[in-house]
Amino acid sequence: MFSKVWSAGIGGVDAYPVRVEADVSDGLPQFLLVGYLASEVKEAGDRVRTALKNVGCPLPAKRITVNLAPASVRKAGTRFDLAVAAAVLASIQKIPAENLEGLMIAGELSLSGQVLGIPGVLALTEAAGEAGVKRCIVPAVNAREGALIQKTEVIGVSDLAELIELLRHPEKGIPATADTGELLERHASEEKEDFSQIRGQKAIRRAAEIAAAGMHNLLMIGPPGSGKTMIARRIPGILPGMTLEESLKITKIYSVAGLLTPESPLLTRRPFRAPHHTTTAEALAGGGRLPLPGEISLSTGGILFLDELPEFRRSALEILRQPLEEHRICISRTAGTYVFPADFMLVAAMNPCSCGCYPDRNHCSCSPREIARYLGRLSQPLLDRIDLCIQVPKLSYEELQKGKENENSAAIRKRVEEAHRIQKERFGGENACFNSRLGIRDTEYFCRLGIAEKKLLKQAFEKLSLSARAYHRLLRVSRTIADLAGEERVLEEHILEALGYRPLERSEWLRGV
Amino acid sequence: MEKQSREGMEEYWHWFCASLFSEPSLEKKLLKRFGTPMAVFHAAEEEIRMVSPRNEKKLSAFCAGRKRWNFSQERERLARLGIRFVSMEQEEYPSRLKGLTDAPCGLFFRGTLPSDDRPAVAIVGARNCSAYGNSVSYWFAKELAGQGVQIISGMARGIDGTSHRGALAAGGETYAVLAGGVDRCYPEENRDIYMEMEKKGGLISESPPGIRPLTFLFPLRNRILSGLADAVLIIEAKEKSGSLITADCALEQGRDVYAVPGPLGEALSEGCHNLIRQGAGLAVSPEKLMEDLMILPGINMKNVQKNKITLERSEYLVYSCLRLQAQNLGEICEATQLSPQDALRILAKLQLKGYAKEVSRNYYAAAKKL
Repeated sequence: MFSKVWSAGIGGVDAYPVRVEADVSDGLPQFLLVGYLASEVKEAGDRVRTALKNVGCPLPAKRITVNLAPASVRKAGTRFDLAVAAAVLASIQKIPAENLEGLMIAGELSLSGQVLGIPGVLALTEAAGEAGVKRCIVPAVNAREGALIQKTEVIGVSDLAELIELLRHPEKGIPATADTGELLERHASEEKEDFSQIRGQKAIRRAAEIAAAGMHNLLMIGPPGSGKTMIARRIPGILPGMTLEESLKITKIYSVAGLLTPESPLLTRRPFRAPHHTTTAEALAGGGRLPLPGEISLSTGGILFLDELPEFRRSALEILRQPLEEHRICISRTAGTYVFPADFMLVAAMNPCSCGCYPDRNHCSCSPREIARYLGRLSQPLLDRIDLCIQVPKLSYEELQKGKENENSAAIRKRVEEAHRIQKERFGGENACFNSRLGIRDTEYFCRLGIAEKKLLKQAFEKLSLSARAYHRLLRVSRTIADLAGEERVLEEHILEALGYRPLERSEWLRGV
Repeated sequence: MEKQSREGMEEYWHWFCASLFSEPSLEKKLLKRFGTPMAVFHAAEEEIRMVSPRNEKKLSAFCAGRKRWNFSQERERLARLGIRFVSMEQEEYPSRLKGLTDAPCGLFFRGTLPSDDRPAVAIVGARNCSAYGNSVSYWFAKELAGQGVQIISGMARGIDGTSHRGALAAGGETYAVLAGGVDRCYPEENRDIYMEMEKKGGLISESPPGIRPLTFLFPLRNRILSGLADAVLIIEAKEKSGSLITADCALEQGRDVYAVPGPLGEALSEGCHNLIRQGAGLAVSPEKLMEDLMILPGINMKNVQKNKITLERSEYLVYSCLRLQAQNLGEICEATQLSPQDALRILAKLQLKGYAKEVSRNYYAAAKKL
């Protein structure tokens, strides 16, 4: 007899429906799986047969054929086990086939019949909701994650016997619930890392605030031990809290990457990803035959922190160019082209030279050429995408000892939130648009200058030999500073301050040497 | 092959210097024994080897080189490279070098040689210098060159290069004494001044063209560097520094040595401070230095008139905190009690007005109005 049930595969960060069809007929006893399957999907046959036997439901000695449609799309992962089991059970009439209608099933089976968790449940229930599927059956450990999408009913099962019971008596199923509001609240109070823990470093605090306010990419230059990493870790805390929509978008990426835990099914803290400098281009961008999200996608909505920037492989850094511009990354494989979101704020840190002490000539004996070579490891196109640049000096003992507590993250966040609100109002769009994302024409439109400001810029242009690229970045940063100050127009003082954060140009780097 | 004319003798000198450029003591011995380079050229190999049995290997190589030497070819080569040669017997040979015990037998040069009639000051210092050293060397070189003083230095990175730049900026004449051949620009990053100096001064070396700037040649060239000058000014030297070799040479040659003091506690000040302790002159400004050297300022008084400083109060507050050594933004904020954003604003203004400069990202130093 023929039967079918829906399941779903994952491509990129989205799920697509897969129809699992099973047929039992006479012939040599055999369990056949077809439909352009990766080997882990093919192995589902053995798992299903053994698991069914172990829950007291042995398969008859017949020819069982299972097809996963559409057969033209490559399917990978272990999430199809449960759906295969259900379809087979229906076709040997252990469960009523009509109970499989309007149902989407996904989960991995162990030989004992236990149902194991799978990645990408959130994407799956989202796709189910969109396809009009009424009920999803997923592993119990993933049930809360799946329930975040409130468009479809999600029921968790922890073993095969439970699934069989549920399919026989669908009315007994209790849908899982997830209180998104409560989940969002809970984490806000759990933040351990706070800006008040950072001693001194007023300038860098200010730069971090501006960067967060306009989502500008930030480069910190300083000797080892000056607190660059500490500051970077605290930047997510001064970004505005996430809306549910935003949080779901990010949770989905983590879900596909298999990084969610059953205890916290919803990501409520802005991501902070700090890949090591030996990382590869694939790990950053997302890789694999069927690509999984890379670090840049996992830092969507939050911070991608690259410590020791010049130590990264050139190939790894250059891959950042497209995402920094378009805030997404396209990965092409033989199986298709996948688009991953990559809407992050880049925070990078580096030493000023290979020994880390320049311009302190007492400790640094690097020659100008060595310093230039060190910087030369960064390409100009990459530096061009960094709006703010600031030097983090080493703190003296006195500064470390000064008892005065600094402003905490909550106070800074308030100002940043206000600046975000102003930007949202100005750009009108629904999707978050920030000053840092302005194109050249928009920059000129939104940062109109008065006569005095134009004069100042002209002067700065000549005196400080700014390039055309630097000019627009300067305007964008000035715009953010004006937003923080609640000013309608970009004024002289904003431009003057922005000049102090203007990014590096290689030629400029060695001016003082 | 008999050439009796003076010009002919010059060719023998050329051969002599090109073969023995790195061995001034051998040169001396050979000349003492045979009198002229021509006599050396025609002397028997045994006799030459007798001059210094210790250096037998070198001398036999020197003798072998004699046979390969082609006078006309070498003459043409020099002409092709635009390089001139002058031996110590010539009028043109700098009279400052003539009296020295270790004077080079001849000099290869492009451009001109320093004039004997006008004062010359050598400025040397650390390669990896600080922003302070940079601005001070530029300042001294520019002011001195503006008064017609010839600036002599070694075209190295750091202080040397900036001194040449300062002199060129004032439109003065500046001379680089190189360790390698004068057709070699070393270091490459100073190519701009290398090209410029050919026109506004000269490039001088004891080594014949084509010789790479080998390490052992540097101490040798330092004696010429100090010898060509009336006084040597040291700006920024660590406790053990090549610049101190130049200072030693200068003292042996009877030149005045001056040193620019630096901040206490800086490694780059130590060499200079030691020199001052040992009795070197204290160079505090180009004017004072000229006074000490009894160089009369030329008519160029344009720079002397004081600029009227028009700064706002807050700007003045920040400006008064700035020093010639670079300070970071945090230190400036601390000293002025300003918030970083205000400090940055004012620093940007000062930069635009030319009173401050950012020597490295967020490190600021006072800029002398040059």
